[in-house]
Amino acid sequence: MDTDFRGDRDHHDGTSDATPGGYPQKRRPGELGFAAFLSGASLFLLYSAYGISGFESLSAPGAVPMATTLVMAVTALLITLRTAQQQRVTSETLAKDILPGTVVMFIGFLTVFGVLLQPLGFVLTAALFLLVSIKVLARKSWVYTVGVTIASLAIIWLIFRVVFTVLLPAGILPEAEFIQLFRNLVSGAA
Amino acid sequence: MDTLLALLTVFTQPQLLVLVGIGTFAGIYIGAIPGLSVTMAVSILISFTFSWDVYPAISLMVGIYMGGVYGGSRTAILLNIPGAPSAIATAMDGYPMAQKGEAGQAIGVTTVMSFFGGLIGILVLAIAAPFVSDFALTFQPRDYMLLAVLGILLVGSLSSGSLVKGIFAGAFGIAIGAVGRDPLTFTERFTFDLQIMEGGISFIAVMIGMFGVSEALLQLQNVTMKAVRQKIDKIVPSFGTIKKYLPLSLQTSTIGVIIGALPGTGGDIAALMAYDHAKRVTKNPQVPFGKGAMEGLVAPETANNAAVGGAFIPMMTLGIPGDAVTAIMIGALFIHGLNPGPMLMVDQPDMFWFIVGALLTANVFMLLFGLTGIRIFTKIVEMPRSIIIPLILLLSIVGAYAVNNSITDVYWMLGFGVFGYFMRHYGYPLGPVILGVILSRLLDDNWRRAIISERGDIGRFFEGVITSPLSLTLFVAVLMIFISQTPLWATVKKRLFRKAES
Repeated sequence: MDTDFRGDRDHHDGTSDATPGGYPQKRRPGELGFAAFLSGASLFLLYSAYGISGFESLSAPGAVPMATTLVMAVTALLITLRTAQQQRVTSETLAKDILPGTVVMFIGFLTVFGVLLQPLGFVLTAALFLLVSIKVLARKSWVYTVGVTIASLAIIWLIFRVVFTVLLPAGILPEAEFIQLFRNLVSGAA
Repeated sequence: MDTLLALLTVFTQPQLLVLVGIGTFAGIYIGAIPGLSVTMAVSILISFTFSWDVYPAISLMVGIYMGGVYGGSRTAILLNIPGAPSAIATAMDGYPMAQKGEAGQAIGVTTVMSFFGGLIGILVLAIAAPFVSDFALTFQPRDYMLLAVLGILLVGSLSSGSLVKGIFAGAFGIAIGAVGRDPLTFTERFTFDLQIMEGGISFIAVMIGMFGVSEALLQLQNVTMKAVRQKIDKIVPSFGTIKKYLPLSLQTSTIGVIIGALPGTGGDIAALMAYDHAKRVTKNPQVPFGKGAMEGLVAPETANNAAVGGAFIPMMTLGIPGDAVTAIMIGALFIHGLNPGPMLMVDQPDMFWFIVGALLTANVFMLLFGLTGIRIFTKIVEMPRSIIIPLILLLSIVGAYAVNNSITDVYWMLGFGVFGYFMRHYGYPLGPVILGVILSRLLDDNWRRAIISERGDIGRFFEGVITSPLSLTLFVAVLMIFISQTPLWATVKKRLFRKAES
């Protein structure tokens, strides 16, 4: 095993190590672009940090932000330079290994989830999300998909809404009435 | 007497006992199910236990942490997939044992030894923490600042190949933590005149995004990977086996505690070092290392569980986390209005002893659950990813939303999730980001306090650093990490080695 590669095939991260990919000596598709983006963003943040209080004093509110953004800018530029010198990994492409269609699709799903969460309410949005994503990933029959969706949503809802009492947007479903009914049932039974 | 009462809080309240149990049980499975991690679980759980009282919330999270560190070993043995980096060394001898049909024995020994290691770690925590905390009371603001910088740098340098990327990640985290109105002067920082930025970025959104969403997105690429079935027989190891490996486990537990207590080093490094140690001290192993040697299993497993107790020492006494998981635990304490640091031991010693008690309980539960329920275990681990991934994403969204009931946090979480996804792909460590976010405030406050106390004179600041042995040590350590990355160091190293060879 390569000593610099500390992740496993599963990209696990239980403790401090969250680095799965990357090759120590080569650059992956898009890596240079990402480094360049980080450099640009860091320089912009440095400019923004300068705007907080300038070089007023070492204990000014802008001192630490300026120092950190300076470190960001310097390291990002260094990374960009080093990355530019490395050879590209020839076996990988951006569309296949870094940003495959499924990942893009799921980022889209999550964004839609966020948009619909408040108007539609948690239960409906989550049901929709689970239905579509399990269908896409498992590619099994609708009966399977609907069954798994309902079962897992019921468990999650019970655990988080009832046990953890997390407030979730009710949306268009009469959730509060249902919970009351449920509580009455439970207290009636006890 | 008070101490004893606080230590036994968990036992006097059945509800807490149940929560520690549930947490440990869940932790074992979370650590073992490929695709779920402890970091992920604890960061999502913070938001769900947000409205709870402190004790129940901590009970649950301590259980998950303890169970998760152990759970990683299961998949390492059964599938050759370490459920956590701290189980990487476990796979080296555990998987060969499973291949020979000794999976049950391997799991049994691992469980008992994990319990043993965990126990030693907790004992050391209970004994050492009060001293460290007393000592920490003498720390100057500059020491805290240096310690925070050192912690972030160490996590950055040890967790991945490239230190530069680690430093970038740490600085990025500090910058995220600085967003919003400065608590001292109310000056706006990085808000770009947007109202939603004034309150800052919720660190929970950052955590869930980085460890929940980005991990799940990455897992999308291995959706079709299948789990392998293993036959498991007798689990509970004989007393003789345990007695035989006891001396070794004592040594490796010590390694675990010490490594765990150092800022920036966690169970993963402790386990690898312990494995190495076992290899050196075991002169005539029955089975060679790497082929299923019991010693190669005992060493990393005692060490990584001992490291849990060790990692709690700097976390509770200094407020400085050792790695991403402890950083998230600190976040959890923050949320409940606690401020880890030397004052915690002075103001709320009960809280400290309660956590020690919870850890002890979790350790016992780990032994209990570890030696039972293996059949259900194999079933749960085989749960298809096509269901797990959507569920993680769903929980991440709910978690991010739940803390402030704000949809903005959900978008922050998604943003950091996607960003973290790219960071993972390109080899940027995520641990330092979280450490940076958590330590940003501490670092900023202490730097300003240090400078103000020297009347804004940087010369006097450095004079203070040089004349104090503690500050000087920390400062030199920080410098060393930087120097080790420069071309100068490479040249010096080369020369030194050449001298040594000739």
